[in-house]
Amino acid sequence: MNGFAGADLGGTVATWVAAIATIAVWSYLVGARRIFVLMQHLLAGLATGYLVLLAIRDVLLPRLAVPLVEHADERVLLVPALLMAGTLVAASWLPRPVVAPVAAIVVGGIAAFALGGAVVGTILPQIAAALPTTRAASPDLAGEVISLAITSLVLLAFLHGAPRGRLTTRGASIGRWLLVGGIGGWLGFLLVSRLSLLVDRVAFLLGDWLTVLR
Amino acid sequence: MTNSAAPTLLSEAGVARLRRSAPALVLLLVLAVASLISGSTGGLRLASPDRSRVDQLRRAIGELPSGALVLIAFDADLGTYAEVRPTTRAAIADLAAHGARLAIVSFTPEGRAIAAAELGRIARAGGEEPPADLGFVAGSEAGLVRSIESIVPSAAEGDLADAIRQRGGGIGAFDMVLIVSGSDMSARSWVEQVGTRLPELPMVAIAPTFLDPELEPYLRSGQLTALLATLREGVAYAEAVSAGSAAGSGPVVGPLPMLVGMLAALAVMAEAAFRRLGRRRRRPAGRSAARRSPS
Repeated sequence: MNGFAGADLGGTVATWVAAIATIAVWSYLVGARRIFVLMQHLLAGLATGYLVLLAIRDVLLPRLAVPLVEHADERVLLVPALLMAGTLVAASWLPRPVVAPVAAIVVGGIAAFALGGAVVGTILPQIAAALPTTRAASPDLAGEVISLAITSLVLLAFLHGAPRGRLTTRGASIGRWLLVGGIGGWLGFLLVSRLSLLVDRVAFLLGDWLTVLR
Repeated sequence: MTNSAAPTLLSEAGVARLRRSAPALVLLLVLAVASLISGSTGGLRLASPDRSRVDQLRRAIGELPSGALVLIAFDADLGTYAEVRPTTRAAIADLAAHGARLAIVSFTPEGRAIAAAELGRIARAGGEEPPADLGFVAGSEAGLVRSIESIVPSAAEGDLADAIRQRGGGIGAFDMVLIVSGSDMSARSWVEQVGTRLPELPMVAIAPTFLDPELEPYLRSGQLTALLATLREGVAYAEAVSAGSAAGSGPVVGPLPMLVGMLAALAVMAEAAFRRLGRRRRRPAGRSAARRSPS
């Protein structure tokens, strides 16, 4: 029982719709492609409608329109924001020199957030955490040495075009197999993950819809 | 004159199609049967026997002061939320049992849809104080950074919203953040954008399995206080919470259907491997010898 639908009429209708949609998607297994394509279109349409509604109700009205109308003097920066948003919406019809600076600001802003965060929040702290300390020996020293060896060998596997000796070639070969092993292990994790999703859908049909599973 | 084509229920093409889809249909049927009898298989356990991750999260929640403000960031994906749903609900029940006051926010549209559904479920279940709905914040990582200053929508009302405003109105007003991760906005974004600006704020995360390799280093470095990112850890946590309180997470995935599914996957892989081996044996010896030869 996923508990999303209540016991009232609306909940019952939602459960039936979800169950029929699940079976319709599974109909692809027996070759009923038209029903599957119909479900794809339904999903795309619903997602688009939901996104439009979310953008209007949760973003454009409360964060742009209402502040501009009610507190225009306090929110002066919203005016260029509105102009930029309008420029991006009308990008197909506007000349390139008008659109390019706006697009550059948007892309630059996103890149600055992502890059700054990655350097300060990931690369530097992870390097610091990986460095050996002068304090007592790490409780997982063997694990750390193995991790270092595996990382080095896998990095060797990416040495393309550089002059290689016999030892490097052997190391790169081992690195490639370690990489394959790692990907295999991760796929095993993914298999468990996706299997749990399938089992959950089966449980939904049996429990929420047919009510034979309690 | 006689008609040689006898009337049949299915055409040849239909029979061939059914034959092709038979393995998948049989798997679905077997999974359904396994789900039905999963409750009576006491010998099988899906929960991870290693409780260190579970203990980390339970300790983080247990150390919260009474009436602590906890922000739940719902940014899971619609496709994978079913995997972390029992864990998330167990964490919400655990936080409520420890007297935490909850607020829910989303930075992705999909997360907002899930958050709205969970808020509806919590409202139907009833309780002392429903979580404050802080809605959807647009702008992805930029929105996350902006929320450090102000996260409460101007229209939000109620004691909980006022309590957050009194403590500054931003993410720093909270005693802990529980991040329900997805692919678009994971705990990594929180660590990079919020963790660097509010280093004292404890952050715990629940994530689907595919994010485990990405998030594990943050747990090791201490940037995340706790992380549950595999199905087995999630089931172990849900069981631990259910055992300690009347409020539970609802049903979790049964071990028998998972075992059946894994065996089916192994059978498919073995079949593919044998087929490949068979093809290699049938290949003419001269061809493989020519392939081995450099010139």
